[in-house]
Order: sequence, then structure tokens, then C-alpha cells
Amino acid sequence: MSKEAEDLRSSLADMIADASDGEIAAELALAGNHSLNALGLTSLGLIRLIDAIEDAFGVDLDLGADLSSFDNIDAIAAQVATALATR
Amino acid sequence: MNTTATVAFGGERGGEAALTWGQRHVWRALPRHGRGRYFLNCPWVAPVYGKRDLSEVLDALRRLIERHESLRTIFADTPSGPVQRVARRGELVVGLEDAGEDRPLERAQRIADEMSKVIFAPEDEWPLRCRVVLSAGRPAALAFAFSHLAVDHVALGLLGADWRRLLRGEELPPAGWHPMDQVELEATPRYLARSARSVQFWRSALERVPLDLFDHPPGQPEDPRYIEVTMESAALTAAARLLAQRWASSTSGVLLAACATALATLSGRAQAVMSLVHSNRRDPRTGAMIGTAMQDSLFVLDLRDGGLAATCRAAGRGALEAYKNTQYDPFAMWAMREEIGSRRGRKPDLDAFFNDRPGPGGWPELPVSTAAEVAQLAGKTRIQAGLSWPEIDIRVMFYLGTAHGVGQLSLIADTAYLPRGTVTSMLLGVETLLVRSLSEEPAALIR
Repeated sequence: MSKEAEDLRSSLADMIADASDGEIAAELALAGNHSLNALGLTSLGLIRLIDAIEDAFGVDLDLGADLSSFDNIDAIAAQVATALATR
Repeated sequence: MNTTATVAFGGERGGEAALTWGQRHVWRALPRHGRGRYFLNCPWVAPVYGKRDLSEVLDALRRLIERHESLRTIFADTPSGPVQRVARRGELVVGLEDAGEDRPLERAQRIADEMSKVIFAPEDEWPLRCRVVLSAGRPAALAFAFSHLAVDHVALGLLGADWRRLLRGEELPPAGWHPMDQVELEATPRYLARSARSVQFWRSALERVPLDLFDHPPGQPEDPRYIEVTMESAALTAAARLLAQRWASSTSGVLLAACATALATLSGRAQAVMSLVHSNRRDPRTGAMIGTAMQDSLFVLDLRDGGLAATCRAAGRGALEAYKNTQYDPFAMWAMREEIGSRRGRKPDLDAFFNDRPGPGGWPELPVSTAAEVAQLAGKTRIQAGLSWPEIDIRVMFYLGTAHGVGQLSLIADTAYLPRGTVTSMLLGVETLLVRSLSEEPAALIR
């Protein structure tokens, strides 16, 4: 994994911890063994996470297609990378 | 004998600021509701726990007002736009009323409802009215009417928690966040960028949604024209919960999908366009603020071939996208909507609402687990007429709540478009759709 990709995953893990009010530790999000929903990310937490990503990266994430794109850190990282590439 | 008392208050901070986005939303909505603008007022009852004398109760009320700037704020229109003016000091005249033979809480609720039927004068009047209900010479409950410029549904819940503690005489830490702080937050580049993204989302939807909510022309309305019909349904309650478990959704998500289906089906359309009333408190500081933060979300749902289950999945995604795009400056949003209206000939009608206000315990849970048991409950459903208004800016509003241990679905409707019989059919249609979905997926709902 490139340094850039690792940095992105790390930033996202911190954002997940913040958005869940610490309910999901960054290490747990990084491990990716369970979906964020299964780890306890609520719909409010998901919106807060999306806010944080959009604020930090200046992108507009598309939620219209498939919410599984936000179910684990790698899927989110892929979404962000796509949004950054098409910005 | 009825009389009054005066509560003199002196808070930490006063000042003048622009309106928050939530306040702008209400400020703009008030005149649009015309003679029925009291529709937006918020009645509320605070019980007096334990045996307290009047001075203790009035002291707790003083501290509540001092603690929350929103409760000592008036609003004014100025050449540079509307502003909020927070007073450091002031006085609130509080009515005192004996409950007589009535139960104090019921008397207080009636008083709160009555006080809420009087339109507020935001420039000249504090945003709350209060009357203390006494029983056997002691205060038993406080009846309030709040301006929606000062509080929303979430804020009332927060005030309730404060009230208990203040009445016990607890020293509370200062409230850390007020509408004037929210104004500063909403002026940051981060929030302005969110607003721009939300306006863009709405723009792309409003360029293609139907201009009219209904295909049929208006008929002869009732007098008063706007009515509320309420359904209390154990069947709806149980079916929504069981379907939410089955589809890994929420009861709100299931009911939103069913209500949107009912709305679309009425006009024979495959798409519903609705405004979701969103609490909009995702920032923890805003979450703890006494103020009004709610705004409307734009929700567009295409009904799916796979029945209510597929529609419910689509509704979940649609609602999330709608909520994401609810942090916006209403003035910027309305400028965009005017522009769309100029281009398309008139503005799309977005006056169909879905308002989810679960009670403190959330959606009730009934000891029912099978479709057959739920179907049996349908015979116990109660439909009753509710309030009415001469004029409000709503064509149709689905309203979720709880009462008497079951879920309550109300419909507020413009009878020029939805006669009372149609309103009742829609409510029962939502119940039928959910009950049937437990064992099958019906293709159509009602006409």
C-alpha cells in the first residue's frame, strides 16, 4: 500500500472515531473486520462522518447509489479517491 | 383567583447578531403560514416535581431564562436583514392559575395549547409565555407557549432535562453554546461550503421534479380549510417495528417509505417528492443548544418494482442524502428556488412534509411477533379529527408520534386537494400497506 493510501486510511479512521464519539476506536476501524454499522455507527454518525470527509477533502460524496460504499474503511477510501480524481 | 407574578432575570451576555440558519428558516416560514402562523408555536408543559413553593418554582424559571440566551431574545427586521437581539436583563410576567377541580397537568396542557393559538410578536414579545398552575395552593405544573424562533422539538427535550435539575436547586455549568455562537459557526468557510453543496443538490433535483404535488385540480375546501386527522394504530406500530427488523431498517425508514408510497399512489405517480423536517443537530455543540436548528430536507423517492422492501431500501439512501444536504443558508436556498421558478414558470410545489417526532421512549414495542397477530390488531385502530387552521403553508404533512402506548400517524392536509375522506383513506392505506407487507408485497395501495 502506498504511503498516500495509508495516510488516507489513517485520517479516515480518526474521522470515524470522532463521528462515533469514540464508540469505534480508530484501530478497530482500521482493522476492517466488521462493517461500521455492525461496530455501532448510527445514521447520525454516518452523516457526521460524511460531513467530516467532505469538509476535509473538499469533495461532494454521492450517496445516491449504494450505501455499502460507506460500510468499511477501504470502501470509503475508494469513494474518496474517486471523488478526488473527478474533482 | 387568577393573578400574575414577575420574574426578573439577568443573564451573562447580551448582544445583536444575524439569524442562525434555523432561525432564518422559521423567520421566512412564519409569514407564509398567514393567519395560521400560530401553527409553528410550541406548547409545552413542565411538571413541578415534589412539593415546592411558588418562590422556588419562579427562581428555577429565572435561572432557566438566564441560562439560555434563546429564551431572552427578540427579533427585528432591519434594512440589512432580520436580526436577533439578546437581552441581558428583563422581566417576564407569569400568570398564576388555580387548577380547581382539574388535574393540574391536564389543565396545564390545555393552557399551553390555548396560549399557543395566539400569534407571537417577535419584535415586541419575549419568545415564551408561561402560566403556573397551582393545586391546593402549591405550584403543580408550568404551561408554556414558545415561539418556534426560540426552540424546536429537540430544544424542548433539553429544557425538560434542565428544568428537573434547576427545580432540585442544582448548580448547572453554563450552557456552552447559543444561537449567537451558531451564527459565527455558520459564517465559517467550512459551513458556507456545506451550504453551497446543499444548494447544488437541491438545484439539480428542482430542475427535474414535477411542478405540482397533485395532478388533480383543487376542489371546494372545508372551513377551516386545513385539517388534522390522527390515527392511533397498534397494527401500524407492530408492523413498522417487525418490518424494520426484517429489512435492517428503522421504524422511521419503513414509515417514510410507506407514507411516500401513499402520496405517490394518490396521483398515480412512480415518484414522491417530499420535504423531511430534520432536526439538523449533527454538530455536538449545536446538539446541546437551546434554539431552533431544524430545517427542511429535500427527499425524492422513486417507487420500486420490488415492493415496499425495495422502496424502503431506496428511502433509506434517499433520506441519508436528503439529511446530508440540510445544512444550508435558507436565504441562499430561496434565492436559488426563485431562480428555478423563473426558469420553469413557477416554483415546484414542495409542500408535502414528513415529520418524525418520536416520544421520549421512541417507537413503542408491542408483544406481537407474527403477521396474523398484527392483522388482528388492525380492528382496534382509532381515527379521530384533530386541530384545524384557516391558513397554513402545507398541502400535506405526515406526522409521526406516540400516544397511549401505540404509534400515532397524523395527516395534516389542505382539504382543497385532499378531502377528509381521502385523508382517512391514506392513513388506513399506510397501515394496510405495512400489515400486508408482513406476508406479501402489494403492488398498489389506494386510490
